[in-house]
Amino acid sequence: MDFEETSEHQMLREAVSSIAAKYGHAYFVDQARSGGKVAELWGELAKAGYIGVGIPEQWGGGGMGIYELSIVCEELAAQGTPILLLVVSPAVNATLIERFGTDDQRSRWLPRFADGSMKMAFAITEPDAGSNSHNISTAATKDGDVYRLNGTKYYISGCDEAEAVLVVARTGADEQTGRGKLSLFVVDLDAPGVTYTPIPVEMTAPEKQFTVFFDNVEVPASRLLGAEHEGLREVFFGLNPERIMTSAIGVGIGRYALSRASEYARNRSVWGMPIGSHQAVSHPLAKAKIELEQAKLMLQKAAWAYDREKNGADGSRGSGVDTGEAANMAKYAGAEAAITCLDAAIQTHGGNGMASEYGLATLMGNARLLRTAPVSREMILNFVAQHSLDLPKGY
Amino acid sequence: MTAWSWLCRCRRARDWRTTGETRNDKDMNIAVCVKQIPDPADPPGLDEATGNLDRSGKLIMDDSDSYGVEMALQLVEQAGGGEVTLVSMAPRGETSGLRTALAMGAAKAVLVTDEALAGSDALSTAKVLARAVARVNPDLVVMATESTDGYTGTTPVQVAELMGWPSVTFAKKISIQEGKAVVQRQTEAGYDEVECPLPAVVTVTAGVVEPRYPSFKGIMAAKSKPVDQLGVSDLGLLADSVGSQGARQQVASVEDAPVREAGAVVVDEGEAHQDIVRFLEELKVI
Repeated sequence: MDFEETSEHQMLREAVSSIAAKYGHAYFVDQARSGGKVAELWGELAKAGYIGVGIPEQWGGGGMGIYELSIVCEELAAQGTPILLLVVSPAVNATLIERFGTDDQRSRWLPRFADGSMKMAFAITEPDAGSNSHNISTAATKDGDVYRLNGTKYYISGCDEAEAVLVVARTGADEQTGRGKLSLFVVDLDAPGVTYTPIPVEMTAPEKQFTVFFDNVEVPASRLLGAEHEGLREVFFGLNPERIMTSAIGVGIGRYALSRASEYARNRSVWGMPIGSHQAVSHPLAKAKIELEQAKLMLQKAAWAYDREKNGADGSRGSGVDTGEAANMAKYAGAEAAITCLDAAIQTHGGNGMASEYGLATLMGNARLLRTAPVSREMILNFVAQHSLDLPKGY
Repeated sequence: MTAWSWLCRCRRARDWRTTGETRNDKDMNIAVCVKQIPDPADPPGLDEATGNLDRSGKLIMDDSDSYGVEMALQLVEQAGGGEVTLVSMAPRGETSGLRTALAMGAAKAVLVTDEALAGSDALSTAKVLARAVARVNPDLVVMATESTDGYTGTTPVQVAELMGWPSVTFAKKISIQEGKAVVQRQTEAGYDEVECPLPAVVTVTAGVVEPRYPSFKGIMAAKSKPVDQLGVSDLGLLADSVGSQGARQQVASVEDAPVREAGAVVVDEGEAHQDIVRFLEELKVI
């Protein structure tokens, strides 16, 4: 049993943190508000190999796992520069392609995930399906050598900066239950028939949200990822990385907020002493710190278990930890810690908490989103109730 | 070609033969002295008895040294061959600061670690570094102008003197031309361009280059790079010639820095600019 990270992990944290610090929260906000992207920051991270830490070495990546990618994600957020696309592009999508892709698909995309030259969006959510993936109505119909894709996805992040989107679509239905049989497709965003329009959201982030329309889009059969009709089972392999990375963003935002707040509380003096010496100020921060450390432990445990389990498939032993449970709990805890820490930090700052200059309220949308997406707090509670506590299913 | 540089070339030529290494004439082998210091973000206390800095906590690479590491790596890249070797003296076999520079691209390190070195002054440090540098047998030694914890700024020139090599201080740019170091040396007015034969010791001013971030592959490779750990006797030094026993310099007393006097607050009621002008005139700056 050992809770200490390796010196490589520490160096990775330091390196990512110093690159992110060079840009900082003000850069992040400027880009988000002006409709810009964090291309320079992404490019610098990619060049040093940090975007591709989790891609196998044979495809040009760092050969490590989700633990290392979650470090990158957490450290970026801890400097006030969270990058949402890290969750979908190198985590969810690269995981699915590595696991289910053909050799041709892997050699086509994994090297570009590894060097960060390609971003890929991920589209599962639909206006009428919500969290019930069985109801997905976007349909891919086989037509000779191609599939024809029709339907609508929404709340898809980063379509304007991604090259392609991994789409979960219905390719058939179970004759008995009527539930959709799903398949995964990699669709170019500039393919004829693909259009997307931004959904205005109250979140300061360079990644924008989109509704994506597929109007009779011709998708070559070579773009089917994995087995036809097996998409639902397959997509679950991408969900644990997604939860772990979301947790990392939450933990990073929490660290960012508490670091700002404790510095302010040490230095701001109103009644002749620093405000941090008043328990009304210090206790909420201390409580937030405890919740943050709990979330971080859960994040580390989940990432560690995921990597052990993944490597277990290659012959070494698994961790004996339920990865799905740990990843769900980490996501829950990370999101809640982000909200608690940010709220405490804003309160510590008094009126300044809302001032743009202090760089806290700008993250309210980002932190709050984590409670809802990519899977809501309630769906996690359902999972824990049924899966961990063996309670009856209510839906 | 000066007699000196000719001699240096001969010496190096002889070394290649005796060590059996295959070295190309154009290779640049550079030693960078790297100090591992207590984290300035979490400053340690002073030992009350000796006035020395408490080095018992975690040590990191002095930020001032990252510029020298970067410059050395660039020179090796430009030469198209050779390598950067780190030379460091630190307690308890500390290597965490060296790993940072190894991750940036240095090939290996020599670390001198010995209890006898506790309480070393600048000259003792220079003796140790000079002996360690001699084992590396470099074409060039790069050091920071001064360390962030000690600030004496004397160690590099002492190393050069002990080696019998020329030293050039305050470099903002180094290039190697026809076997010589051509250095832009910062001055108050601008810079001087100085040439000297190799091998030489050059000190690099902080901030003159942008140190690279270690790549992920660099980080993963750092652990397996060799760190040659040596004690005082390995260097042929007597224990009482270094450390607190050999120190010719002692900390006489340590006092708190004087508290900065409170500034004057000028409340602007439409006349404040006059007060500012008066203040600047008193300083004789306008």
